[in-house]
Amino acid sequence: MMWSQWLPTWITLSPLLGVALLLMVPRESKKAHRIIGILTTFIPLILAFQMYFLFDKKMTDMQMTISIPWIEVPIGTISYAMGVDGLSMPLVFLTCLISTLAAFASLYIRERTKLYYILFLLLEVGMLGVFLANDLFLFFLFFEVTLVAAFFLVGIWGYTEKEKAATQFLIYNGLGSAVMLLGIVLLFVLTKTLDYSALPTAISLLGAVESYDTVLWVAFVAFLVAFAIKLPIFPFHSWMLRMHVEAPTPIVMIHSGILLKMGAYGLLRFGVGMFGDYMKELAWLLMILGLVNILYGAILAFAQKEFKRVLAFSSISHMGILLLGIAALNQIGLQGALFQAISHGLISALMFFLVGSMYERTKTTMLSELGGLAKSVPVLSGLMLVAGFALLGLPGLSGFISEFLAFVGIFQVNPWLAAVGTIGLILAAAYTLRVVLKTTFGPMKDHYVGLADLRVKEVLPMFVLVGFIVLIGVYPKLLEESIQVTLHQMLLKIGG
Amino acid sequence: MNEHWFVLFVLLPPVLAFLISLAGRRMAKQIISAVGISATGTSLVFSLLLLNESLNSPLSLDSWQFTWLELGSKPVNFGYTLEPLNVLMLVIVSTVSFLVHVYSQGYMKEDNRFHVFYSYLALFTFSMLGLVMSPNLLQIYVFWELVGVCSFLLVGFWYFKPEAKKAAKKAFMVTRIGDIGLFIAILLIFKETGSFDLAVLAERVEANAIAPGMITLIAILVFVGAVGKSGQFPLHTWLPDAMEGPTPVSALIHAATMVAAGVYLVANMFFLFEASPVALDVVAYVGGFTAIFAASIGLVQNDIKRVLAYSTVSQLGFMMLALGSVGYVAGVFHLMTHAFFKALLFLGAGAVIVSLHHEQDIRKMGGLWRKNKAVGILFLIGCLAIAGIPPFSGFFSKDEILLTVYADGRIGLFVVAVIAAFFTAFYMFRLFFKVFSGDLPENQQVEQVPTSMTWPMIVLAVLATIAGFFHLDHWLTATNQYGVAIHEGGWIPYVAIAVSLLGIVLAYAIYGTRRYSSQELRKTIPGLYPLLLNKYFIDELYAKVFVRPLKGLGCLLGFWDKYVIQGLVALSGRIFTCIGRVGSKLQNGQAQTYALISVFGFVILIVSLLAGRLFQ
Repeated sequence: MMWSQWLPTWITLSPLLGVALLLMVPRESKKAHRIIGILTTFIPLILAFQMYFLFDKKMTDMQMTISIPWIEVPIGTISYAMGVDGLSMPLVFLTCLISTLAAFASLYIRERTKLYYILFLLLEVGMLGVFLANDLFLFFLFFEVTLVAAFFLVGIWGYTEKEKAATQFLIYNGLGSAVMLLGIVLLFVLTKTLDYSALPTAISLLGAVESYDTVLWVAFVAFLVAFAIKLPIFPFHSWMLRMHVEAPTPIVMIHSGILLKMGAYGLLRFGVGMFGDYMKELAWLLMILGLVNILYGAILAFAQKEFKRVLAFSSISHMGILLLGIAALNQIGLQGALFQAISHGLISALMFFLVGSMYERTKTTMLSELGGLAKSVPVLSGLMLVAGFALLGLPGLSGFISEFLAFVGIFQVNPWLAAVGTIGLILAAAYTLRVVLKTTFGPMKDHYVGLADLRVKEVLPMFVLVGFIVLIGVYPKLLEESIQVTLHQMLLKIGG
Repeated sequence: MNEHWFVLFVLLPPVLAFLISLAGRRMAKQIISAVGISATGTSLVFSLLLLNESLNSPLSLDSWQFTWLELGSKPVNFGYTLEPLNVLMLVIVSTVSFLVHVYSQGYMKEDNRFHVFYSYLALFTFSMLGLVMSPNLLQIYVFWELVGVCSFLLVGFWYFKPEAKKAAKKAFMVTRIGDIGLFIAILLIFKETGSFDLAVLAERVEANAIAPGMITLIAILVFVGAVGKSGQFPLHTWLPDAMEGPTPVSALIHAATMVAAGVYLVANMFFLFEASPVALDVVAYVGGFTAIFAASIGLVQNDIKRVLAYSTVSQLGFMMLALGSVGYVAGVFHLMTHAFFKALLFLGAGAVIVSLHHEQDIRKMGGLWRKNKAVGILFLIGCLAIAGIPPFSGFFSKDEILLTVYADGRIGLFVVAVIAAFFTAFYMFRLFFKVFSGDLPENQQVEQVPTSMTWPMIVLAVLATIAGFFHLDHWLTATNQYGVAIHEGGWIPYVAIAVSLLGIVLAYAIYGTRRYSSQELRKTIPGLYPLLLNKYFIDELYAKVFVRPLKGLGCLLGFWDKYVIQGLVALSGRIFTCIGRVGSKLQNGQAQTYALISVFGFVILIVSLLAGRLFQ
């Protein structure tokens, strides 16, 4: 067996090493927990780099695959199948990167650190597994792992209303996964397989038989709803508002940066990749929902009085652009959607990190109480301005290229809808500048005199994020080259 | 193949200067400014070398591209092109930028964010240079947004001032509205031609491969972008407010270069506008209206920089009017002369402001001529140039515009342009006499202006004087077929000089001799003065029509989201907790809910697996 075949497995499971180590360390040695936690996240990150270099950009199918029969059930076989393609590779890389940076950002966590880092690493295992699994059942297991881990991380280390936020998160996502499970089971019963490589063909074969059409529709809608909740698509968005406000900084970085992108991944992998023809029939609905997301999120972001809620609604708006890219169902649109997933992951992680470190100093995120921070904390404010520019889609930063691609994609299909959607770009500038200028510009408030600016261990991870945001913005080919072939292949299957 | 290197040496130095100054918090101010000045100096030298080559043989300069990204299977290229218009813009931008870099040493010497200021200036210079050599629309858009951001950063440079914050935000937002027009135009062009390349678009337009209606639509959307950037009505409101930025910035960005980018864009895509009479109409009428509209506001403003700002808006209107009247050369020519004399006027205003301890209200000024004759003479040259008195440059370019408009046959617009020219002469000399004639107000100390600020003004004054004698028409049209119009109407220059002189004399009578009171003039048409003073209440109108409804909608949706959507969530949550309680009465806390749902999920799984067996 080749080393590369096991690479996805190694990447996914390597954080467990840290978990094992942590279990052996006494509860009191907080510094050790932190060091173990941070160092462990470097293992998958380094392996992800290796995966990037081993990755064959010309290959259409999954690569570095492994498939071992695992559970025999009467219907068929559930296998342990892992692998990577152009769709999952960038997301895996994003996950590893943001996990490492979020581990750095965990310096604000001061209680029950042992349990914290254990759950944190489990969360990383879950996320990586979601992107690298090649079997629906395995995917589902990892999906559930992220749910459980995130639930406890928010519920224990969150802010004032953490229990409420955690419960709401759980109810919604639990509901989502129950619906998804229904879809998975339906598929399994119908097609006798859960393997990614076999499913598309099996589904299109079944789809040709009329009597199965309805059942397949049910399965498709089940998947759609599950990932619509995750993304989130209006009106399933309420759970993520509270989550954004209450989750501790590193978790909200991961949540907004990666967990939401699992929704995008699901829509692309299963929606476009397996149910392509069904997706095509519902494309009009996704377009409308995407547009609603863009405008609804943007207008409400403009009306918020608290910083993190602005960012939460802005996420809804940005995910609307992503949805438009998917709904375009052409190469450029899908490219835009995947770019947007990566780009927004980086930008929102940076933004939430900044807001978190601001909160550590000002003890508030209410806009009415903030102002003039540029004078007392110039570095933090400068970075916040950069993050704001990225968020509003300034060329040269990653947000522009992803939104541009998504809009070019949807414009080929439905110019009118796309034109209306561009209003979202104006509104994005309005709400972003509003919060950033409100906090950093203007006369300095007296009680913010003498605040300490960012420390080196805060600044370095932020610079890494800024670096990647600029890199993708200036040289998008870096990302584009590895995803082209996969997206092309996915589209070939649609419409025969 | 010298061009590659030349272009590299034009673009690279400002980038380096940006990075060095940004990290230069602990460097001495002299080093920071020396870096900036030598960087833009290098850009200037190599721009001039390019100009030299282009003047010798305009067709010899190559363009160059590389693939930046692939859209599906279609390549998106970045690169440069060096047609005469591009080269001319390079020279204008690097000249003014270099001079402003020199000037800022003195103007900003007290500021403790000196390095930040220079880094923004350098970034702006890079972006603007990149913009004017772009061969395709996506690249133009990228740099277009970057110069916008630099403008935002520099308007808001004194971020702690609430007015600066407001002005910066407004500058960004209002231009962004225009930018969306350009954005949609770019999407449309890609849909039509499958490329962003201007050359490809020109080919398709030439071959009549695009429907006329579509050409008109695209041209108008491009123009919307230009309207935002060049402060044309109705998106002009940000430009006067942008005067909150430091004065060197106003000279560089909000007078000479960035605000002219809209005019450049229309000139650069002139083939598109030429193909659509409707679009030309729109450009001409918007330009003509803006020219007179802004000039009329300029008549009564009391802030020295705001008078100049409205003047800029008005002059940009003149350029648009020229382009809309198929006067490619006239529009571009005025762009160049305006860059020189308006930069001179702003730098002069900066010198006045510095010598009066940052006083900007012209009602509190007077008698500066005696105290600082050098600045007075330089400012006067600027005023004469913009008023269109021969042999100063403004005369030639404005004359060219008037001839073009007349030849194009829109007599109404010609009359408007003549009246606007009269207004121009009047408000400029109103400003001049108010600042320089009469007596110095009591208790007003006059500070000396450093030589680093005087030298750039002298250079600009020379350029503003002689630029009218540059004959650009054959060179500018060497690589395109826009043609040099043959004009009729030899009487037009005399009319132009006459109205300008009339304006100057009138201004002298009222503000120079102070024999006639302006109060009388105000009373002639009741209500007109407050209307002009309040800029036709456009800001108030926008606040009522756009900003407030948006806020209202935000509140409404907020209410809806909070009570309807989240109400449903709360309801479903309650239902689940109820089930949860029934399911596990022994436990408390939240984890049970999860357990419940998981169990629920796995029960479905097992049941269905069994079901599968039963079905078989």
